[in-house]
Amino acid sequence: MSQTFEPKILAFLCNWCAYAGADLAGVSRFQYPSTIRVIRTMCSGRVDPSHVVEGLKSGFDGVFVFG
Amino acid sequence: MHVVSQLLELAGIGRDRMQLRWVSAAEGQLFADFVKELSSLIGEKGGFDPNEYQLKLAAVEGALNSPRLRWLLGMDRQLTERENVYHQKVDDKLYKELLERATEEEYQKSLILEVLRDGPQSVREIAEKSGLQIYAVSQLLSEIEKAGLVDLHGYEGTTPKFIRLAA
Amino acid sequence: MNEKKASQPVTGAVMVVGGGIAGVQSALDLAESGYFVYLVENSSAIGGVMAQLDKTFPTNDCSMCILSPKLVEGGRHLNVQLMTLCEVESLEGEAGNFTVTVKENPRYISMDKCIACGVCAEKCPKKVEDSFDERLGPRKAAYVKYPQAVPLKYAIDADNCIYFKNGKCRACEKFCPADAVEFDQKPQTHTLQVGSVILAPGFKAFSPEVYDTYGFGKYPNVITSMQFERILSASGPYEGHLVRPSDKTEPKKIAWLQCVGSRDIHHGAHGYCSGVCCMYAIKEAVIAKEHSKEGLDTAIFFMDMRTYGKDFERYYNRAKEETGVRFIRSRIHSIVNDPHTDDLILEYVDESGQISSEVFNMVVLSIGLEISDEMKNMAEKIGVKLDLDGFAETSAFQPVSTSRDGVYVCGAFSGPKDIPYSVMEASAASAASAALLSTARGSLTQEKTYPAEEDVEKEEPRVGVFVCHCGINIGSVVDVPSVKDYARNLPNVAFVEENLFTCSQDTQQVIRDAIREHRLNRVVVAACTPRTHEPLFQETIREAGLNRYLFELANIRDQDSWVHQAEPEKATAKAKDLVRMAVAKVALLEPIERLRVDLNQDGLVIGGGVAGMSAALNLADQGFKIYLVEEKSELGGHALKVQKSCKGEEVPAFVKGMVERVENHANIEVLKGTRVNDVSGFVGQFKTSVQSNGTPRELDHGVAIIATGAHSLKPDLYLYGQNDRVTRWHELEEKFDEDPGKLEEAEAVAFIQCVGSREPERPYCSKICCTASVQQALELKTRKPDLDVYILYRDMRTYGAREDLYKKAREQGVLFIRFAQDEKPQLEAVKEGGREKLQITVKDHILGRPIKINVDYLNLATALIPRGQEEMAKFFKVPLNNDGFFLEAHMKLRPVDFATDGVFIAGLAHYPKPLEESIAQAQAAAARAASVLAKPYVEVEPVVSLVDQDLCIGCGLCEASCPFGAIRLHKVTGRGYRAETIAASCKGCGVCAAACPKKAIDMMHFRDRQICAAIRAGGARQ
Repeated sequence: MSQTFEPKILAFLCNWCAYAGADLAGVSRFQYPSTIRVIRTMCSGRVDPSHVVEGLKSGFDGVFVFG
Repeated sequence: MHVVSQLLELAGIGRDRMQLRWVSAAEGQLFADFVKELSSLIGEKGGFDPNEYQLKLAAVEGALNSPRLRWLLGMDRQLTERENVYHQKVDDKLYKELLERATEEEYQKSLILEVLRDGPQSVREIAEKSGLQIYAVSQLLSEIEKAGLVDLHGYEGTTPKFIRLAA
Repeated sequence: MNEKKASQPVTGAVMVVGGGIAGVQSALDLAESGYFVYLVENSSAIGGVMAQLDKTFPTNDCSMCILSPKLVEGGRHLNVQLMTLCEVESLEGEAGNFTVTVKENPRYISMDKCIACGVCAEKCPKKVEDSFDERLGPRKAAYVKYPQAVPLKYAIDADNCIYFKNGKCRACEKFCPADAVEFDQKPQTHTLQVGSVILAPGFKAFSPEVYDTYGFGKYPNVITSMQFERILSASGPYEGHLVRPSDKTEPKKIAWLQCVGSRDIHHGAHGYCSGVCCMYAIKEAVIAKEHSKEGLDTAIFFMDMRTYGKDFERYYNRAKEETGVRFIRSRIHSIVNDPHTDDLILEYVDESGQISSEVFNMVVLSIGLEISDEMKNMAEKIGVKLDLDGFAETSAFQPVSTSRDGVYVCGAFSGPKDIPYSVMEASAASAASAALLSTARGSLTQEKTYPAEEDVEKEEPRVGVFVCHCGINIGSVVDVPSVKDYARNLPNVAFVEENLFTCSQDTQQVIRDAIREHRLNRVVVAACTPRTHEPLFQETIREAGLNRYLFELANIRDQDSWVHQAEPEKATAKAKDLVRMAVAKVALLEPIERLRVDLNQDGLVIGGGVAGMSAALNLADQGFKIYLVEEKSELGGHALKVQKSCKGEEVPAFVKGMVERVENHANIEVLKGTRVNDVSGFVGQFKTSVQSNGTPRELDHGVAIIATGAHSLKPDLYLYGQNDRVTRWHELEEKFDEDPGKLEEAEAVAFIQCVGSREPERPYCSKICCTASVQQALELKTRKPDLDVYILYRDMRTYGAREDLYKKAREQGVLFIRFAQDEKPQLEAVKEGGREKLQITVKDHILGRPIKINVDYLNLATALIPRGQEEMAKFFKVPLNNDGFFLEAHMKLRPVDFATDGVFIAGLAHYPKPLEESIAQAQAAAARAASVLAKPYVEVEPVVSLVDQDLCIGCGLCEASCPFGAIRLHKVTGRGYRAETIAASCKGCGVCAAACPKKAIDMMHFRDRQICAAIRAGGARQ
């Protein structure tokens, strides 16, 4: 299926793991879709379920939580 | 988080709009791969219009804020954390079933409450707007009534109309 | 311990030589305790061998992830001066006052100017084998050691640079956007004054070329374990794909050969055991199986499986039973390469004597640890003695002291060891230094001063946005001017600017000026990652009088321009979104005060064994007042029963001396016959009630060290307790000492190992028993050479230099008989020629049939077990592991800390360990405790949880969910219980906030409304 639609995606990244992983992806120049918007939290445990709902309400098409 | 995905499924939004993945600080490639994979997954589902799901999103939010679910969720976190930190396997099959049932009920209750924001309505009207079965609505209504969140407002003819008491 | 000359002034600075994990740990401990540190590293970046590893055993943590925060902390500590590309030339003077000469080799790239964009490496035409990747892949002559290097500065490798060879090229210089290349740099010499020196140069991995029958270097698919680490690593030469070097195909069968270069007196190898290879081989096999999609077969060829550390045996069992790693007890003599396939053929004799042959696609040589010639050279320059194996000579009683006063050692340089033990020794070495230099504490360290903070809380937000080009790193993809113009029109934005390098020194001045000129009260920088740069900018705005928490960084480089290089328009749109989100969040941020909690500078040590006494003595020598609590009526603990250390030193004299010092030390109050009844409070302000010889007493203290020891199991096996010829641990020695006639009459004595250890109900190795029995056997053989001595064992775990004892015992004729877990020896009391004997029946593995041995005495090496630790764990809110030993904060890098701040662990209560390791761990605990006690207050990162007292219902879910014991219920008059945050312990993770059923908990700096503002700003369509 050819995709013209690009979803807008919200991602929560834990400071010590996934955020560092995302930075490493940058350092290594691994390319990925540009439609992701990242929010840094101290720990993925901080992400409240209501933040997911808030994301969908605010116009994101999907929400990722990276721990 | 599986409560959220269950709620998203119940609301017809689809559980896969929320994804949980583990990426460590050394897994830059994995992160990029996940973003690619998950973005195309969401892409296939198409865009999400929050206006279309306004009522249901509000119900999801309401369910998430319900004391019953937050209690259960609090316990859940405790269990999952334990498992992570101490590598203990918690046999929580029963707990999961309980949680799933609670999630469904709380979602439906919350949906009814959201529908009632538009003013006093009959069981039939509520059922139509929420998409729930009439029988389920009347049963849930009595529970919500006991919790002091709705009340009988009056009768239109012989049809009882209910009103939302909670803010 | 060090004899201090109190009259003579000492220098409050320490030089740490070696920037691996041990060196960095020493440096951080000392810098936190009031000493200035020069951290000398001979390569271009700190990190050492640990930076090269993929995962670490036994937790399978990603090595880089756990190391990186320590490196960053070391790199930016105000009181640590990193000296990369430096070597020590000479050391003069004496303990307390040394003069060190250090040679600094040129980097050819200015540290001040380099922005780590990588253009020099990209443009450099010269490819070189990358030694960080163990020569499996190339790097350039202009390079950074590894992507997460600290300092993150490039260097030019003059040995390979084309310009240095033939005077032409200079491509890096031409393209460097920051003008940082300086080909005219020359070596420099620095002369530094320090009070002590800590040697932490680490080790060199053994080069297996000397084994010509293994064909390393000749056969492409025979690699070293270090190379295998790099293959597994996601940032390694094959990007984490498990393929073999010859044809880059995925191997289906991999073999590990143990003891390559170790436990071998031939081939220019080493007689000692390298101590870490068994575990890392299992780990590599387990991780390799995880990597492989289609059922990888792994086989480890070994002699004795030495999984003696904490949780190691469990890891081994899991690998064997669940992961399906094959373990074959056989030493491989040679490897044959199939020239057509580059597969490798191994021929071996298995335990039953059968000769087998197997083909593997790849063979990993588990290479040992050794000391390189450069390190030996350095030791000579510094004047410390090395032992016959080349390791720094130390005593078991002073495990981190070298032969030269005031020069300490830690890590693998004083003997093969794993990461946690290296980290322990690193802290111990810093404790020894601190005790030597305690009169100069704080004399050379700096503390920064700042202008008063402006009160901006009531002002409308005025946000300044600085967008960085980062040379061309951001600017070449993202349209920076358009992002800047976009930001200008966002709500609350009062000032915008673009910079070539926002992090450069001069831009910091620009930011400070803009804050004053435009009365900015919030700042957003759109540049790189907050993980490396947030502290810098926070510092800048703080210097301009703003609270450092009124800052937000939008990551438009690492997570934007670098990862969307082909989509400049979308990357620009994303940058705008990220800036909008940052502005939305920053407008809601509140100034947060760094919290300071008053601290009681006294310490409590629980347990009066060698560990407890070592910790108490060190802290007391450092000048802190210590309460030492012991349940029994005398100090000394288990060591009272030990005769000799593993190095042959006399233990009783040592313990006697130590007890005397403790009891007479002005800073130690010894409370014997004393039980702990209750503990309350938290770091800085503990209150412990004790019962001292019947009298209750309250002790106030700032920190606590738990050193409560362990016990040995009294088994109901092997007729123990029924036949008085069956003894355990030191009972046999005592019997012979009491009545030498018994030894005189005896014809044969046996030892049985692993009694109660490595069993399903106790799946851990008690670590010290093999060495203890071998030592006792040797002693008996010395006293009575014609005595028959048998040791019945499962795996001989004389790790490290202890291997020498094992070798000696075999030379002296001690007979070693191996038995399997399911074929335990049988014991029977018999009569032989009218004399009472014990008859042991055991299956001999070489003969393959049961043999009977008659002995006069049987000594059992029974398991070491924890007892009654639950109560202490509850008092201090610290966890125990599955075996009942205390569980430290992190198995690898925080071996003496707990997740709960201010409580530390040492000795057998943590896990069975020999005397020298207990002492090192105790000194390490003292060092960690001292880093808390050195300041009159505890400074707390204020990103902590915040409880709304009106919403809280006191249910306690937060308390139960908090991994740090940082939130608890307290009684509020008339309202029952309410939760309160213990800021001193809180790490800001937010688990409590998510667990709270009433949503009564919020996180400072990550408040719900701040996160939601960012979500909403991000979701809005432009």
